[in-house]
Amino acid sequence: MVRTSEDYDPLLRRPFSIYRNYSTSYPMKDKRGHLTILYKKVGKGTQKMITFQKRQKVNLIGPLGNGFFIPPLPSPSPIILIGGGVGIASLSSLGKIFRHEQIYVFIGGKTKNDILCEHDFPKRNVFIATEDGSQGHRGTVVELFCSRLRRFDRNLPHHIYVCGPEGMIKRLSRMNFPQKWTVHVSLEARMGCGFGACWGCVVKTKDPQMAYHRVCKDGPVFSLREILWE
Amino acid sequence: MGMKIKPVIEPDLSISIGKMRLKNPVMTASGTFGYGQEFEHFMDLHQLGAVIPKGISLAPMPGNRPPRIFETNGGILNSIGLQNPGLEVFIKERLPYLKSLKTNLIINFFGNTLQEYSELAQRLNALEGISGLEMNISCPNVKCGGIVFGSDPKMTYRLVSRIKKLTSLPLIVKLTPNVTDIKVIARSAEEGGADAVSLVNTFRAMAINIHTRKPELGNVTGGLSGPAIKPIALRMVWEVFQVIKIPVIGIGGIVKAEDAIEFILAGASAVQIGTANLIHPKTGLEVIEGIRKYLLQYRFPHLQNLIGLLGK
Repeated sequence: MVRTSEDYDPLLRRPFSIYRNYSTSYPMKDKRGHLTILYKKVGKGTQKMITFQKRQKVNLIGPLGNGFFIPPLPSPSPIILIGGGVGIASLSSLGKIFRHEQIYVFIGGKTKNDILCEHDFPKRNVFIATEDGSQGHRGTVVELFCSRLRRFDRNLPHHIYVCGPEGMIKRLSRMNFPQKWTVHVSLEARMGCGFGACWGCVVKTKDPQMAYHRVCKDGPVFSLREILWE
Repeated sequence: MGMKIKPVIEPDLSISIGKMRLKNPVMTASGTFGYGQEFEHFMDLHQLGAVIPKGISLAPMPGNRPPRIFETNGGILNSIGLQNPGLEVFIKERLPYLKSLKTNLIINFFGNTLQEYSELAQRLNALEGISGLEMNISCPNVKCGGIVFGSDPKMTYRLVSRIKKLTSLPLIVKLTPNVTDIKVIARSAEEGGADAVSLVNTFRAMAINIHTRKPELGNVTGGLSGPAIKPIALRMVWEVFQVIKIPVIGIGGIVKAEDAIEFILAGASAVQIGTANLIHPKTGLEVIEGIRKYLLQYRFPHLQNLIGLLGK
């Protein structure tokens, strides 16, 4: 959660996923202890962020939430990543973690300018879709993924990781994924605090005890099958 | 060296609400502080004057459909809808941690009927480790949720006098600003036997997305909080302070010590930090320190010297 302004305008912090993080013992000295956020200017908060100066101190709280499920490696099951727009930023680190696995990456955006992070993944298994056809397949990333679906074995387990706009996730949730496939989605939401206090960023789930779960604390990663779209 | 060091007299920040003694006047506003534990990484909770966790009802409440939160200029609209796990689960899962805090624990509660309020008050009264109760008669986001009681002076009186008989704990009544005259409701609460009133809860408000032509909140309307409401809340505290004798607890857009001091000068004996907790979790502690420095700067030995000074 990034505080984009110290004078309460905009009032709330803004939620971002971590694009890259380098431990304090990272071999390259200039990157040690660094954290990278990939963002797109869309509103008041990100408008403030583009005015940040080099070496400016930024107030942020994190990391927060649950993070992606990582199976024991090497994974016998293929890994599929599906990212839309800036959503691909939160999948980028998975590209690193799964670099020795059998991995397929689907990246989508409105135009070729919205295609990010394609070089963060092994080139031969990256598939790109743009809605205007300016790069790769013309259409949505979900359509592209569907068109290649029969190449994956429905009877074998697969791990799918998704991040993108709500419309994309809703479209995916209408697909019938084979039972053995796990589908993990990282959700975006307007957040109040980011650490579970305000209950403002909830998503409806199939949990009979408590329908609304907090995206910030109980998520942001949920099993796609658990989510109930209203 | 011949310099004399002037003895610094540490100001006394303590206040009392009924039989409850607070080491300082800073509390957390219910609904903005989760169940306390969410904040333990950011601050030492023991230093707060009191902790007020998220409101509790007898039965679990699912809350409202999202989106539940929307940022406006200087404020937040919310329509959480009092989501909570109900008293049983609260006692089992949340109370043990809250009880372990070395400060006052004030439980905020609400019901849909006189009967529900009564049962909750009785059951809370029987629990160990609670210093006081805050009765919510003011949530704008649920159909019942108490606002029926909070907008009618007769109902306020009936409810408060009934609950007062059922508990020996200090009783704070949390008021809504969404009434014609908040002074009338405050007086009814006092006549009913309330030990203090806290004000204000959020202002009913809304926002519309002109591109989708839909409301920004799933519940259409919500409650406005944050710095945007501070001047109105301050005026209400000032007005209420003139007409009642029990302590007033000021709430509404406090983000720094100066805001809290304004409320105290207007008549608040204590303050609650709400929206600011979400943005800067340790605001409460900074407000305490700021009040202390202010008292030192202007040589006030006691916080009491400051309360309602504007009217004196």
